Amino acid sequence: MQPVVLLISLILMAALSAVCVLAVRASRGPAPGPGANAKRTGLIWAMTILGVIVSVASLREWPHALAATGDALEVNVSGGQWWWDIDTTEIPAGKPVTFNVTTEDVTHGMGIYDDDLTLLTQIQAIPGYTTQITYTFEEPGSYQILCMEFCGLAHHDMVNEFEVVAVEE
Amino acid sequence: MSTASEPVASGCAAAEPQAGAVKLTMILAGAVFVLMMVFGLIMRAAQGQWIELDPALFYQILTAHGAGMVGTAALSGAAILWYFSGRHVVLTAGIFWAFLGLFLLGVVLILGAIFIGGFGGAWTFLFPLPALSGGAWEAGAAAAFMLGYVSIGVGFLLYYLELGRQTHERYGSLARALGWNLILGREDNNPPPPTIVAAAAVTIFNSIGIILGAAVLVASLVHLLVPGFEVDALLAKNLIYFFGHVFINASIYMAVTAVYEILPEYTGRPWKSNRLFAIAWNAVLVFVMAVYWHHLLQDVVMPPWMLVVGQLVSYFSGIPLIAVTAFSTFLYVRGSKMTWDLASSLLVLSVAGWSVGSIPASIDGMISVNKVMHNTMWVPGHFHTYLLLGEVAMAFGFMAWLVRGKTISEMGGLDRAAFAAYLAGAAGFVTVFLFSGAASIPRRWAVHYEEWLTHDRIGTAFSVLVVLGTLVFVLRFVARLGRSES
Ligand code: HEM
Ligand SMILES: [Cu+2]
Ligand SMILES: [Cu+2]
Repeated sequence: MQPVVLLISLILMAALSAVCVLAVRASRGPAPGPGANAKRTGLIWAMTILGVIVSVASLREWPHALAATGDALEVNVSGGQWWWDIDTTEIPAGKPVTFNVTTEDVTHGMGIYDDDLTLLTQIQAIPGYTTQITYTFEEPGSYQILCMEFCGLAHHDMVNEFEVVAVEE
Repeated sequence: MSTASEPVASGCAAAEPQAGAVKLTMILAGAVFVLMMVFGLIMRAAQGQWIELDPALFYQILTAHGAGMVGTAALSGAAILWYFSGRHVVLTAGIFWAFLGLFLLGVVLILGAIFIGGFGGAWTFLFPLPALSGGAWEAGAAAAFMLGYVSIGVGFLLYYLELGRQTHERYGSLARALGWNLILGREDNNPPPPTIVAAAAVTIFNSIGIILGAAVLVASLVHLLVPGFEVDALLAKNLIYFFGHVFINASIYMAVTAVYEILPEYTGRPWKSNRLFAIAWNAVLVFVMAVYWHHLLQDVVMPPWMLVVGQLVSYFSGIPLIAVTAFSTFLYVRGSKMTWDLASSLLVLSVAGWSVGSIPASIDGMISVNKVMHNTMWVPGHFHTYLLLGEVAMAFGFMAWLVRGKTISEMGGLDRAAFAAYLAGAAGFVTVFLFSGAASIPRRWAVHYEEWLTHDRIGTAFSVLVVLGTLVFVLRFVARLGRSES
């Protein structure tokens, strides 16, 4: 996901920068003709239509949807300054896992990283609330939980690990 | 191109009301920008392990940099808006001095809290972290930090009270100042100029932002002092991000008046309010307040509709910015035969930087993208784009204009070099942050893993360029002020 997001962002950013450079170059050229306002209207419509399409496509399936209870393995994770406690250290691959996340003190962020230090998903841990997230691990291996919300002095040390294991059917 | 063909500034800078107070404010802002950038450079170098920094000190510097930069962006934006509003309404000088005094008192409290009291809870003071430092700082330090914010907030409320009152007096109502006559197609023989539309909108949304910010500050202060007084952490977070989002955006929406008022001197085409302009600003007024939920997209216990609104408004806020502000700027520039001096170059750059920075921001505003980008370096990546290349470029452009004198001439060698260093440095610096975000590097980590050091070091090198460019901008401003004043 991340490389695609980066690529799209950089392309759009470069395109808008290019428009600016062209305008600066054109400061020496002729003044814009009467068609400029029609262009602007076109731009507004194009941005609106693109926005509607992207919004519908990206929200049709609710990004925070949880697996139905019963289908998913439940794992409880609690955080505090500055530790993570996971009640299951071996999680089966290929099966949806619902994490129930709590904190004992301040707000933390539970970020799940794979072995290559790529962030797979995350959720906030909020004092007084239990937050839930479902994720399905495809690959067996070791995974890490890193803290994603600034929580004080040892925020960067708030790391723990768990294993995802292959299961025979 | 000959200088003589340029339209000459209507009424030179010194003739503007309260120019002295504004110039003093810009000297202070320039100096703090430099100092805070050096703090930024130190953090970046520490993350790259080129220098060693105790994590406690790193987080104190992070807190100072965040609060200092946001505060200075707001201070410079406020000075710019005050200066140009003074062309259209009569503002009381004493209010600006009170505002500046309260601001400086706040700065003293905040710096004391951080560097004497050891407060390192970040500029967002997320409840209940200030009260639960894990031994890093005492409640007194957290209280001093928050009282500093309160002092700055009170100053801003005075500022907006005066601006709102005088605008109301001059235009009859804030609705008229917001351009409602233009929107509704009613006759208005004295429509509000762009600066006044901006002043009216910012006065409304930033006052609301500061009042809600004050509410959560007071609740946090009481929580510090009265054991057992609890606040709902999610409610506090909503209030903090509402305030934080609105406040930092207000700084850009105040500073953009420099573009409206200064660019016409160069292009020879006045920037006028029209129906589309008024619609865009009224949309901004609503969007700025409705969009803050994009900071809470991973707080899944929030009502889903709020997260949906956060995503939608993140995207649709781009339309007034890109299709109105940026589009108009580029239109004014085309065929204008304008002269590119430091002021005009920085101001056009600022509109480009602001709009370009909104792209990675709205993409991160998608809930599904946010799941893997939230609180990674992607976030400092996009906000440094529209601050460093947006708001700060507006402030430096305004400063260059203040000391320009009557004739407009192309940039000299030093200006050219400083502009190039600033632009290249800032563009490189923010691009590295975006790559780091895509590489899943979390933000606000004092200590980085081996795998991340290359990012940090390239970022550090680019930030040196930014600091050098900035030093030239600020020293040049002070030197020329001295010359023109004597
Ligand atoms: C040379 C210029 C600058 C450098 C080197 C720099 C560097 C940094 C660094 C290293 C961070 C922390 C990144 C992390 O989360 O790990 C940061 C955060 C931040 N910067 Fe800058 N910065 C610069 C300019 C600016 C400017 C001009 C502004 C605003 C006007 C600004 C506003 C902020 C804010 C609000 C934060 C967030 C603080 C937090 O996470 O609590 N910075 N900057
Ligand atoms: Cu944490
Ligand atoms: Cu943390």
